[in-house]
Amino acid sequence: MSAFRFLHSSDLHLGRAFGGYPDGIRHRLREARHGAIARLAQAARAGGAGVVLLAGDTFDAETPAPDTLRQALRAMGEEGDLTWVLLPGNHDSLAASELWRRIAQDAPANLRAITDDAPVELASGHWLLPAPCTQRRPGRDLTEAMAAPTPEGARRIGLGHGAITDFSGEEGATGIIPPDRAVRSGLDYLALGDWHGQMQVTPATWYSGTPEPDGFKHDAPGRALLVTLDGPAQVTPVETAHFRWMRPVLDLLPGEDVAARLAAALPNTRARDHLLRITVTGRLPLADRAALEAGLAARAPDFGWFAADLSALAVEALPEDLDQIDRAGALRQAAEVLLAEAGDAALSQADRDTAQAALARLYALTQEVRA
Amino acid sequence: MRLRSIELTNVRRFAGKRARLSGIGDGITVLSEPNEFGKSTFFDAIHAVFFERHGSRNAAIKALQPHAGGAPEVMVEVDLPEGRFRIAKRWISKPQAQVHDTTGRLIAQADEAEAWIDQLMGGGLAGPSGLLWVRQGLMGLEADDKKDRERDLTARRDLLSSVAGEIDLMTGGRRMDAVIDRVAEALARLATATGRPKAGGEWARAVDEAAALAAEEAALRPKAERLSGDLARRTEVTRTLSRLTDPADAATRAQALTDAQAAHQAALAHQAQVTQAETTLRLARLDADRLRQDIAAAETLAARVTAALAALAKADEAATTARARADDLGQRDRAATEAAEALAHQTRDLRTRVQAATRAEAAQAAKAQAEDLQRRLDRATGLQASLDQTRAQRARIAVTAKVLDAADKAQSALDLARARAEAQAVTIEARPDGAPAMLNGAALPDGPVPILTAADLTLPGFGTLRIDPGAGRSGEGIAQAEQALARLLAEAQAESLPAARHQWAEAQRLEVEAKQAAALLAEVAPEGLDALRSALARAMAAAADAPDTAEDVAALTAALAEADTAEQAARAAAKAAHDLAVEAGNTRAGAEANRTTAARQLADAQAEAGDEATLAARIAALKVREPALADAVTTTARALETLRAAAPDLATAEARLTRARGAVDQARAAEQKAREDLASLNATILALAEEGIEERLATIAGDRAEAEARAARYEAEVRALTRLKRALDEARTKARDAYFGPVLRELQPLLAILHPGAQLTIDDASLLPATLTRNGQPEALDILSGGTREQVAILTRLAFARLFATAGRPVPVILDDALVHSDDDRIEAMFDALHRTARDQQILVLTCRQRAFAALGGERAVVALEGI
Repeated sequence: MSAFRFLHSSDLHLGRAFGGYPDGIRHRLREARHGAIARLAQAARAGGAGVVLLAGDTFDAETPAPDTLRQALRAMGEEGDLTWVLLPGNHDSLAASELWRRIAQDAPANLRAITDDAPVELASGHWLLPAPCTQRRPGRDLTEAMAAPTPEGARRIGLGHGAITDFSGEEGATGIIPPDRAVRSGLDYLALGDWHGQMQVTPATWYSGTPEPDGFKHDAPGRALLVTLDGPAQVTPVETAHFRWMRPVLDLLPGEDVAARLAAALPNTRARDHLLRITVTGRLPLADRAALEAGLAARAPDFGWFAADLSALAVEALPEDLDQIDRAGALRQAAEVLLAEAGDAALSQADRDTAQAALARLYALTQEVRA
Repeated sequence: MRLRSIELTNVRRFAGKRARLSGIGDGITVLSEPNEFGKSTFFDAIHAVFFERHGSRNAAIKALQPHAGGAPEVMVEVDLPEGRFRIAKRWISKPQAQVHDTTGRLIAQADEAEAWIDQLMGGGLAGPSGLLWVRQGLMGLEADDKKDRERDLTARRDLLSSVAGEIDLMTGGRRMDAVIDRVAEALARLATATGRPKAGGEWARAVDEAAALAAEEAALRPKAERLSGDLARRTEVTRTLSRLTDPADAATRAQALTDAQAAHQAALAHQAQVTQAETTLRLARLDADRLRQDIAAAETLAARVTAALAALAKADEAATTARARADDLGQRDRAATEAAEALAHQTRDLRTRVQAATRAEAAQAAKAQAEDLQRRLDRATGLQASLDQTRAQRARIAVTAKVLDAADKAQSALDLARARAEAQAVTIEARPDGAPAMLNGAALPDGPVPILTAADLTLPGFGTLRIDPGAGRSGEGIAQAEQALARLLAEAQAESLPAARHQWAEAQRLEVEAKQAAALLAEVAPEGLDALRSALARAMAAAADAPDTAEDVAALTAALAEADTAEQAARAAAKAAHDLAVEAGNTRAGAEANRTTAARQLADAQAEAGDEATLAARIAALKVREPALADAVTTTARALETLRAAAPDLATAEARLTRARGAVDQARAAEQKAREDLASLNATILALAEEGIEERLATIAGDRAEAEARAARYEAEVRALTRLKRALDEARTKARDAYFGPVLRELQPLLAILHPGAQLTIDDASLLPATLTRNGQPEALDILSGGTREQVAILTRLAFARLFATAGRPVPVILDDALVHSDDDRIEAMFDALHRTARDQQILVLTCRQRAFAALGGERAVVALEGI
């Protein structure tokens, strides 16, 4: 039997709204998700695969907007040399009957929508054992259906969606797919979806992850898996994402070169295609903190989206910092009161934070005035 | 520094002259001269010597020049800790500045002299002493000229810095102002004064945006949920329809209906057979029952005839017996009544006799009582007469214990008086050798004879010798005692004291006697004589009412009791006999009625039964039919039981039929409904799905969360800015308190002299008083009267002057025609304030108000003029 190669992907979440993001980046993010279809096709083609298995959550909603659905189907149809296999996930489960009715109505010839758990022959001697999600939360192990018989000697490829029992899924639901499903059901490869980060469960069981990340949770580039079945499964990750979501943590201490640390923590190329949420921890003197804030403000416009969280960065007011506010007198006294409040354990965290912010503001204002 | 003298040469109105002001003391020194004298010239000259360079030709210097021109010169003498110095300046022509000590040694000249003066003034023109000048008509605290204002302000800062530290350092100065301004600006952009989001600001915009998105989300969410629910329902309806339209299920439901209908028909037919059998049984039972009733009726009739015969015989017998008994009891009743009446007559007679005997007995007792009462009345009458007499005797005695006691005392006093008189009296003692002498016509006794009153001593052979011892005190005492005694004896109606005593003893006896007689009378007639007499009259009346009988009451009473008992017994017996007679009469009437009834019943029964033999034959014929009818009932009942045991349950058959029909109908209706629901759901889902609701909802929810987060960030920003502003305000207030404290401490006692209890606040920009609070009411200084502003201005300078003194740099205060707006009361108070300050402060007062300032006191400066 000849080798069989396919591209394993999942969680495209086409039509994801990205509410809360400014309009510009929001539209780019939505467009990038649609563009993932072409990038997957390119990756499949480049890897010599003729089949793309999408392990659920191709669509973000049960009833995506008509243009979202229509354009996705058209885009897949345009990649006519490939076969697209769509498995219902929890977001686009079979309960979303209207979606699957429309797909059945509008699907191109090279698209195969899986609406039941009957085995499907993908290629000669290669059988797909699908476990489509019947509901958003089916509450049972749908992959039991993968025990269905196939012709003797056939290669068995499982296609499922959901969390394995060792961890909680993308939406926090407790897993119900046994990690050893591939062994139990005699599968040569089990292609899973739901987890947006790429992850290997067993040598023959993989979560492909989303080809185009949609949040900061995984902090990894979007990828798909090129799988070759010729004996044990050979799995190769391939990068497919346009955007990179990063959440660097910068832990700073007094005496460090803040500018250098900040420069090292931020990407230097394609900043426009990066979404960045930087978290700064540790403690800094007032002057360094002011410099850090200025540095962050200066770099922010470089990125597609940028946010800095300094709530965990404590202020360490050195005597020379307070001297820069004033050596003595009312300004100095106000600064000392705020500094004491910022470290007063008897106060609530909110009050301490307020005092710290007020102190930082006082420092910045006195420097502006001095200037 | 203290000023000692000022000398002006060729200055303004002193053209061609030298004017020397001297006599300046350590405290207050007053130069009181009329207008146009040149006081302000002195003032300006002092100012020029300290604050104008000798090379200056500015307006102030030119103003010192006389109209005739020339070079004005000014020289002042000052005392410093190092000693006295003379500072002299000349302007315009051959300008010069020189400082000499008291020895005439030149200390410095020209620019060095200016430097020396600058050092003395603590910074030249910006020096603090500039504060202490009060020019004519000063009303405000600040100078009109901007340059002067700034100079004064700097001076005040310098002055206060020397007391409370660097002012800018303390209050933050302009940096603090700028920071506070920026914080306020940032706050004002976001929040209102009360900390709410400011309309049009970014915070308010974020809050409004979040609210609008939340509202939009809330409006959209039900739609999305409806779509989701409709999708789930459509799945369920599709599944239901598929089940309902399954052909095998439909055939099963139809067969079940057919079977149920057949079973129901069979049950109905069997039910009809059972009903028929029940009717047959009911008829057979009716026939048998009717026969039994006929037999029983005939037998009952025969029994009735027999019983009626026996009853009549019995009633006859009873009537006879009752009649005889009634007659007998009637006779007994009458006899008993007569006996009772006889006994009653006897009893009445006895009762009359008992009453007569009882009255006779009572009359006898009354007679004895009347006799006793008569005796007591006689005794009482005698006692009353004796008592009356004794009381009359007692009443006639006038002596009382009090009078007697007083008489005793009067007698004692008389005895004492006499004894004293006798002791002091002239005594004569005759030792006759011839005829005895006669005293007052009586023989002169032997031995010494006291002569208490005038007496005639007749001496034989001589005649009569009148001896008068005179009316001495003893004689008066005796007379008074005798008069007192005589008055008391007259009151007692006694001739002498012994007679009075005797009468008093008699009175005592009579009182005892009267007491005893009264006691006896009370015993004999306790209720008085009249009561005794009334009782006697009543007893005598009772004794007179006595019937004429001698029968014994007790015997008669006993006989009456017996007769009563006998009468009661006879009456009871008569009543019992009467009751028996009545009852016997009733029994006889009942027995006779019973007999009449029994006779009528017998006649009725015999009329109904007819002949006895015919009735017996009829009964026999009826009894022959009885067994056949009983067999018919038994047979029919058995047949019914058999049918019932074999009957199917009709209710079950009906329920099964209903259920089978219901299942068919329900399936049909459910199918119809499912088709309708499906059509409806398809339409709704199609419409909603076209809208892409979930994507819109996700977008809005995300935007809403972002707007909320943004609003929260602004809120935190406002919190931080608010906290910062408060910290800055508090720090500055604290610094001001430390900074202005010394000034206020100096100013407050001075202010209290004019306005007790008033408070001043100082503006930290001008470093001068800003508001005056009196009676809790703060008022801005610039709206107060000219007088009050003037007073506060001077007091403030005095306070600053005291600060200088405290800092070891005393400077003179010079007032040039100040206090022009103050009334008499206030001006007096201001004088007090000046004196209070002047204890350790030199104050030079220049005034044209000679009369008003006469009360200021202090030393008087003089100005000497000489030509040059």
